[in-house]
Amino acid sequence: MTMGYIVLQNLRRNRLRTALTLVAFALPMGVFVLAISLLAALIEIGNMNERELRLGVHHKVTLINLLPDAMRRKIEALDPERKRLTAVCGMRWFGGKIPEEPAPIQSLAADADTFPIVYSDAGMTPEDIEAWNKDRQAAVVGYGVIEQYKQKYPDFKLGGRVSLKSSVPPYLELEFHIVKVIEKANRAQTFYFRRDYLTESLKEAGVDSPKCNIFWVKCNGADELRELQTAIDQEFSNSADETKSEDENAFAASFTQALGNLPGLMNAMAIVVLVIVGLVAGNTMMMSFRERTRELGVFKAMGFPPIRIFTIVLSESVMLAAIGAIIGIAPVWIGLTFYPLPKLGVLPIASLKASPAAAYISLIIAIAIGAAAGFWPAYQAMRLRTVDALRRVA
Amino acid sequence: MASADIELQNVSKVYYKDRLEIPVIAGLDLKINPGEFVAMMGPSGSGKSTLLHLMGGLDQPTGGTVRVGENYLENMTQIQLTKWRSQHVGFIFQMYHLVPVLSAAQNVELPLLIFKGLSSANRKERVKTALTVVGLADRMDHRPNQLSGGQEQRVAIARAIVTDPDVILADEPTGDLDAKTSQEILNLLNLLNFEFGKTIVMVTHDPKAAAHATRTLHLEKGELERDEVNAPRPAAGASA
Repeated sequence: MTMGYIVLQNLRRNRLRTALTLVAFALPMGVFVLAISLLAALIEIGNMNERELRLGVHHKVTLINLLPDAMRRKIEALDPERKRLTAVCGMRWFGGKIPEEPAPIQSLAADADTFPIVYSDAGMTPEDIEAWNKDRQAAVVGYGVIEQYKQKYPDFKLGGRVSLKSSVPPYLELEFHIVKVIEKANRAQTFYFRRDYLTESLKEAGVDSPKCNIFWVKCNGADELRELQTAIDQEFSNSADETKSEDENAFAASFTQALGNLPGLMNAMAIVVLVIVGLVAGNTMMMSFRERTRELGVFKAMGFPPIRIFTIVLSESVMLAAIGAIIGIAPVWIGLTFYPLPKLGVLPIASLKASPAAAYISLIIAIAIGAAAGFWPAYQAMRLRTVDALRRVA
Repeated sequence: MASADIELQNVSKVYYKDRLEIPVIAGLDLKINPGEFVAMMGPSGSGKSTLLHLMGGLDQPTGGTVRVGENYLENMTQIQLTKWRSQHVGFIFQMYHLVPVLSAAQNVELPLLIFKGLSSANRKERVKTALTVVGLADRMDHRPNQLSGGQEQRVAIARAIVTDPDVILADEPTGDLDAKTSQEILNLLNLLNFEFGKTIVMVTHDPKAAAHATRTLHLEKGELERDEVNAPRPAAGASA
């Protein structure tokens, strides 16, 4: 028999209480791993975007306000020698969805000639570009979209023909030909197709609107990006279509924050939950200590040194926290490792994978909470006067 | 087989509660010889348990000296007292206080865990011996809730003797048991005293239990009122 065995056996005294405390640790720790994995995925996408040096130019008031097609030429004219910018690609929100499905797909119509240049990170080969240029129904689709729908709709594959119905007036239903599957995580949830196809289809439907929601400007460097950001907004200031230019990360962040400052909310919730878990654990340990005051007095009478008593009580709390955390973390970890979530709502995340750091951090936090919660009962137990404890016996 | 004498000289103990001075023991002198079995009787609040705690180094006197064997307890620090207790004193309590989630053998093994240099095999051997002495060798794997009150107290006695202490201090060891089981426990204490030569000090309210001791001390308001040598103890197994 070892001290560790005694500590473990002590957790069996009140099984219901132990089980409830384990659940109190397991649930928030599982959610915590999910939250940290989510943040890690967002950061990873942010890092990818940062390397691409893209500047998004949209209407100063809101992204919904459309900008005239001619603006592209005006932006290009700011750098005729192409020292600061490589290319400009206009994009229009389509908001398409599979007619039978409720969830929209992040679908955008992009300028056919510059899309492969501005979105070089889509990894299009010369053959892909040729297929894109040749076919006005061509679509370049992220692997996340394919993974999500391929089982139910077998045409969601390279070479497949699929239809999307727009969720904005005049609610066009267009057919596309998938010519490229993007393997990059930061583009995994997006469906790109040619804007000339959309413009012509709109015209056929009686809507003559060759306009864009955003122009993406591929820059030659970080300094050039900042220079162009100022130059473009100055160019269109005091016009009917004033612009706001943002680098891609800032744009993605503002888009995510439009959902309600999700990272901040997650942080706040995590802190509140962790404090509550700490209080629950502290209460459990205090009750456990009070119930065993006499027994601890007997331990002291037998000659157990105060530090050993402290260690026993503290270890119980830490072990409870660690076991609870493992119970919570393990299923999430296993689940995300073997079944990475293909999509998480509207967040720009391709797949949520288990982050080792998330598991370690959660376990360390749980142990720290366990130690903090057990410290005071353990200290009380250590300081307990043997005769006082034994008097509760007689 | 170890045994020790106990000597108290001019011992006093005062408790303080809300700045109120509560004298419990006043100028008490007492000598207990090695291998004696002493019963302490007296009404509640007469200082019996306090005296037992002083002899066991659980508490320290306000004045006077407490010597157990070679050790003067009033001069020792808490850490020294803790270590001394683990090696020289075995305690038996009225309510047994076994750890409910451990087996009888594991409960008996507890005091040995703080002994350095004792192998697992050695500990198991000692546990087996202690449980055999108290007649529970066949109940080693039983948990406390699978034992009767008398068997639980036997396990507690085995736990008290497993370290081979010089002195056994028992605080109303039969207070929670019926007459028949009390008799068995008292016979066991007699055995430890007679066969193994242990010095035993037992607090009790029961004159029949006190009759098992070789000597009875009567305390009254913290003073030794009477010190009697008992008639030869009843034969083991006789009715209490």
